Amino acid sequence: MTHILLRGRDIPDIWKFDVYVKNGGYEAFKKALGMEPKAVIDEVKASNLRGRGGAGFPTGLKWSFIPQSEPVKYVAVNADESETGTFKDREIMETNPHQLIEGALICAWAIQAKAVYIYLRGEFWDLAHELDKRIEEARQAGFIGQDIQGTGWSCEVYTHLGAGAYICGEESALLNSLEGKLGQPRVRPPFPAQKGGGLYGEPTVVNNVETLTNVPWIIANGADAYKKIGTEQSAGPKIFCVSGHVVKPGNYELPLGITLRELLYDHAGGVPDGKAMKAILPSGGSGPIIPATNAVLDTPLTYEDLGKIGSILGSASIIVMDETVDITWVAAKVTKFFKHESCGKCTPCREGTYWLDKVLDRIMAGQARLSDIELIDNIAKNMQGVTLCALGDFAANPIIYTIKNFRDDFMQHVQKAEAKPAPKTRQAAPAGD
Amino acid sequence: MTNTVKIIINDQTYEVPAGMNLVDAAKWYADDDIPVFCYHPKMEPVGMCRMCLVEMGTIEKDRATGQVVLDENGQPKVRWMPKLQTACTTTVSDGLVIRTQTQQVEDARQNVVEFLLTSHPLDCPICDKGGECPLQNLTMAHGPGVSRMEFSDKMRLDKHVPLGDLIFLDEERCIQCARCVRFQDEVVGDDVLAFHERGRSLQIITNSEPGFDTYFSGNTTDICPVGALTTADFRFGARPWELTEVPSICPHCPVGCNISLSTRLDRDFGGKTLIKRVMPRQNEMVNEIWICDKGRFGHHFSRSEDRLEDPLVRERSGSLFAKPWADALAAAAEAFKAAGGDVAAIAGSGMSNEDLWALRQLVAGLGSRRLGAWPPTHAGAEVAAQVGVGAGTNLGQLGRGDAVLVIASDLEEEAPIWRLRLKQAADRGAFLLVMNARPTRMDDFAAQTIHYETGAAVQALQALKDTDTWKHLAEARNLVIVAGAEGLSLDGSRALAGAAANILLETGHVGKANSGLLAVLPGANAMGLHYLGFTPEAAMDIMQNPPKVLIVAQADLLLDDPAAAEWLAKVETIISLDLFASELTQRFAAVALPIQSFAERDGSYVNGERRVQRFYTAQGPMGQALPAWQALSRLGEQLGQGRAKLSAAAVMVEIAQNVPAFAGVSFKELAKVERQYPEVGGKDLYYGGTAYRNRGGLGMQIPTAADQGQTIPPFDVTTVETPKTRGKLVIVPSVRLYNRERTFRPSTPVHARVPEAYAEINSADAKKLGVQDGDTVEITIQNAPALRVRAHVNGGAPKGTVIVPRHLSDTAAPLAVTVGEVSKAEG
Amino acid sequence: MTLSDKKYAQRIQAAFAKYPDKRSAVMPLLYLAQEEYGWVSPEGIQEVAALCDMDPTQVQSIAGFYTMYSEKPKGKYWLQVCTDLACALRGADEFYEQLKAELGVDDGGTTEDGLFTVEHVMCLAACDKAPMLQCNFHFMENLDMDKMRAWIAEKRAEAAKAKK
Ligand SMILES: Cc1cc2nc3c(=O)[nH]c(=O)nc-3n(C[C@H](O)[C@H](O)[C@H](O)COP(=O)(O)O)c2cc1C
Ligand code: SF4
Ligand code: FES
Repeated sequence: MTHILLRGRDIPDIWKFDVYVKNGGYEAFKKALGMEPKAVIDEVKASNLRGRGGAGFPTGLKWSFIPQSEPVKYVAVNADESETGTFKDREIMETNPHQLIEGALICAWAIQAKAVYIYLRGEFWDLAHELDKRIEEARQAGFIGQDIQGTGWSCEVYTHLGAGAYICGEESALLNSLEGKLGQPRVRPPFPAQKGGGLYGEPTVVNNVETLTNVPWIIANGADAYKKIGTEQSAGPKIFCVSGHVVKPGNYELPLGITLRELLYDHAGGVPDGKAMKAILPSGGSGPIIPATNAVLDTPLTYEDLGKIGSILGSASIIVMDETVDITWVAAKVTKFFKHESCGKCTPCREGTYWLDKVLDRIMAGQARLSDIELIDNIAKNMQGVTLCALGDFAANPIIYTIKNFRDDFMQHVQKAEAKPAPKTRQAAPAGD
Repeated sequence: MTNTVKIIINDQTYEVPAGMNLVDAAKWYADDDIPVFCYHPKMEPVGMCRMCLVEMGTIEKDRATGQVVLDENGQPKVRWMPKLQTACTTTVSDGLVIRTQTQQVEDARQNVVEFLLTSHPLDCPICDKGGECPLQNLTMAHGPGVSRMEFSDKMRLDKHVPLGDLIFLDEERCIQCARCVRFQDEVVGDDVLAFHERGRSLQIITNSEPGFDTYFSGNTTDICPVGALTTADFRFGARPWELTEVPSICPHCPVGCNISLSTRLDRDFGGKTLIKRVMPRQNEMVNEIWICDKGRFGHHFSRSEDRLEDPLVRERSGSLFAKPWADALAAAAEAFKAAGGDVAAIAGSGMSNEDLWALRQLVAGLGSRRLGAWPPTHAGAEVAAQVGVGAGTNLGQLGRGDAVLVIASDLEEEAPIWRLRLKQAADRGAFLLVMNARPTRMDDFAAQTIHYETGAAVQALQALKDTDTWKHLAEARNLVIVAGAEGLSLDGSRALAGAAANILLETGHVGKANSGLLAVLPGANAMGLHYLGFTPEAAMDIMQNPPKVLIVAQADLLLDDPAAAEWLAKVETIISLDLFASELTQRFAAVALPIQSFAERDGSYVNGERRVQRFYTAQGPMGQALPAWQALSRLGEQLGQGRAKLSAAAVMVEIAQNVPAFAGVSFKELAKVERQYPEVGGKDLYYGGTAYRNRGGLGMQIPTAADQGQTIPPFDVTTVETPKTRGKLVIVPSVRLYNRERTFRPSTPVHARVPEAYAEINSADAKKLGVQDGDTVEITIQNAPALRVRAHVNGGAPKGTVIVPRHLSDTAAPLAVTVGEVSKAEG
Repeated sequence: MTLSDKKYAQRIQAAFAKYPDKRSAVMPLLYLAQEEYGWVSPEGIQEVAALCDMDPTQVQSIAGFYTMYSEKPKGKYWLQVCTDLACALRGADEFYEQLKAELGVDDGGTTEDGLFTVEHVMCLAACDKAPMLQCNFHFMENLDMDKMRAWIAEKRAEAAKAKK
């Protein structure tokens, strides 16, 4: 199939402005400029495009929440891409940057935004500086700046570099970070799309890179054509980031609805060295981990179907683990990540990730007890659903699901520890008073 | 409250004001204390701690008809949210339903407490907050019985981090609620605290220079829900449960903050009562729940080694000797008899109303009416009595649509809590105009700042007429003009108060709450001085025409007025009533009578908003000291002026009978309290912090002439000439909150923050004089000893003007604006 | 030198031009300070604070929140090795252990010659090219120890040459 998003694979030089334009680039934007902003929103709505940043929120609907009466509005492009196992936005921006810029501009026109800020994780240092050049090219061509294409509408596009904080991928933390404040999430409501909730308090659309990169194609080819790709509820192409124990790790742009088996075996080449596949993290470090059973492998990769097998599609970063992997180790590894990335603002996440990490360290150090497994399971459950942002839930998932789906791996640690001479007596901390 | 909504809390329906915060509404209307750590009723919610989780839903309404949908039992159907919600980030709305007592909610609370305790140390037995700690209380109420955290897994952090001179941080105890950070940012406007790092490593830091240096830092220790922040003053000083709380009034400035003196019998003080700390006491009309650090740490003078403990009488040898009261009073009486009516009194504004009345009666009984108010720097009191802020004024209510004008005052230094409250008024949308001859801290919060030529305050005010700025003032719903006297002579300050009054009259902003004049007067009881007949004009007259016998009551003339020694020498006999064995007493007094400080006796002050407020006896007297009213009234008895009064309350009865402004005032009335919103200081310390509930009285406000419906004719505003320089520089005395006044000197914790004596010189002037920032300069003024101070050349002074803060050294700065010369000095 | 040096003027101005308020420029300016001093030094904090009209405390707070601002001086080459799950599944942990051993330093340590600082970091969005690291914000991918040894030797040689 030809690529819609990773077009650099079909036309290697499409990152260049003239090559992009020669291949129909910025035509969709021009077309959109000829449409009423509301009509653009309606077209995106009709396409069933859903957010590719993780939450899968319908994109057109999000745009329609922007109060048109407000004079100042913004678009923030989420290029923070920090989820363990996710590296798709990076390839888009490296190989097909103009399509992202064009998508962001169409969004900006649709909500009549004053400026677009592309928030890149700080580690995309080189990439951001390249992107600045692409933006400048688009500006020179009259797609950015004052009175764009004679419409009377003006819009700027800027990049902003983060500096190493996963939480800044969370939309309200991202906005705080852009404003030069601590990158911690905000209380919602008000949501970014509402007055008071967005960038500098102005209504703001926050969309993922991949999400916006879909938009030019939708405008150029129409919502109906787009809906033909993928399934009823999960329309369009999706980039699947495959990593871990596969022969060919990398990005795969495929229609939503293909099965895990097709993706992992037909495309990614299966597990190296003839080993068996043990477990899959379908949504990076933050989603529920699942055993690689036949039923799981035959599940179509859609928003709706992954829910049925107790996981989520999320950002579709699929980490594969072969039979040699101790899932307890995976839980410990992922927990370190969340402990490191917890912003510290709310209690259950700040304290919970710290505590989980401590107990898992003990387990990994060969001092596991049966009660430790119950303990971390309970700590994680106490973190669920009560935190200020979803990071707390993300941090709880690996524990809850590794224990639920791979309890044996934990039990082995317990048995090993019990076989050893008793460890030094452990002193329990007294209660609060 | 016009707009109300109906909400359901635990199956009961309540009607509450629209737009109210849910935690506040539940507490006020349903008596339901939702536990909180990060939420504070005086600050914006942040939803961080997650302690306030409740079950939340809305009553379902039929989309088409708008009718409430009923369930099978005929009850309104509730659509419950799948997850618990934070009450603190919820604004009440019609049909909101919450449950706060279910198992699910209780579990969530227990979990949050458990999480917080995982890294909290268990040092309650040595923690200053122990006994009044929100975390301790909420642990008892909601916490788990045992810990599942291994002791060795706990965080080990620094337990002694000085954030500045006054506040210490215990990193282990901090629960990252950000109350202190938000207080500094939202309430104070000095964002000198912040979080550092993230996750469990999140810690409070300050990186300002000097550290955590604001006048309001102590308040963070009150609102900190754990013992993470403690003051240098109280740290390890006493246990909260050993303390007795005595309602009092801060004696340091015209705001009149309501405070609570925490006392105990102290081993280090001979087993006698001693103030261990000063805490804010809630009075929403005056100081809400805040006090400044001067109020908090400025109580040590009451136990100063400098206190005068015995009556002194000067013998023929010229030396003073301690005498029994009877002898001293007899000696004083002798002097009065010999004066033949040529008697006068000068009283400072630390004197209570009762003291002042007794003094006035004594002087009147001797046939004189010469009653001077000290220091004679501000003439605004008489104008404020006519068109002052209307009865019922609450600066906390000013906001959008209102306007505030501050003129000729460095408000942060002169009346810190007014500055705090007006900054917040500006945040709420009030138009804040700040007019001064030089930049002040208040400029930072102003919508507009005007810098006029030194001394030209009246002209600057008059020049506003018909400008756009004028429109903001004239069209404002409420207008408060805050007028000081910096850079003005006494006549100049009278003219300024009058000019301000004229604007208020012209724009119809008198005689109603939240509008009118606020005079920034010196000291705690300048309005009391006015109402009881003491005037700065009389003081000036006394300085020019010294009487035979002069009573100097709680006025530090030598530290205030460089010319004092000269004119005091012309007085035959000086009777002093003093807290301290001051230089004045040592050098000039024929008889010195030791009097009690505000903390040792009952009495009342009138604050700048004309609120009569009562304070109570907190600790025993120093030596033989008596309340001034008592000493004076006994003296009167000696002179045959009738029986001495037996109590301050009895004196107030007499005042109320004789002084119309005090009609209806009595100690009993002053002690009355009513429920205040938000309700702090109850057992739920977690809600508002450790500020005390007001049990000593909210006071009574004296109505202005305008409040009483009198027509006030425009004030005569003769513009006063600014001093002619003729090649000299204009010397403007200014006020610094932290200084070396006798009532502040003994507060050692704050010493490091009292600036070394300095003068601000404009860079152009400095250049001409060959003076650089940091040089020592000598300032010579006619009829006064030269001042040696450090030069500050930092843009603070306008060209041609030298700002000389008062009370930074033992050499008095000039009493009012004057001219002088500056030269570079060695050293 | 300081941030007031001419060579930064244009970049400082460009940073301010992006945002409607000064405070938003704090992150780009902290990068400049780091470039100037090699780390986010106290002078850097003060200068950024003055430029952005912020209290230095707030600037320090921002510097402390993000891992890419270093509040400690570090080596000429700041090697941040991703040892997160996806990379670890492809040998990143072993790679990192060997790298530390090769350089003779612990996690977060700097070599005695002041050339290399190593630390492990979380996912850098290059999981398909593991093991990988970030050297002074530039990615080095599909690494193994042979490549690393050659690279280290090269950098040491360069440094020795520069000394002469
Ligand atoms: C902790 C956390 C991290 C996130 N990180 C990212 C990210 O790196 N990139 C991203 O696009 N969305 C991320 N999200 C999701 C965003 O909050 C937001 O939903 C998304 O940017 C919306 O864009 P979309 O509708 O186009 O998906 C994250 C969310 C959370 C809670
Ligand atoms: S869940 Fe974690 S990351 Fe999200 S606000 Fe709470 S502490 Fe911060
Ligand atoms: S989250 Fe509501 S009180 Fe802290």
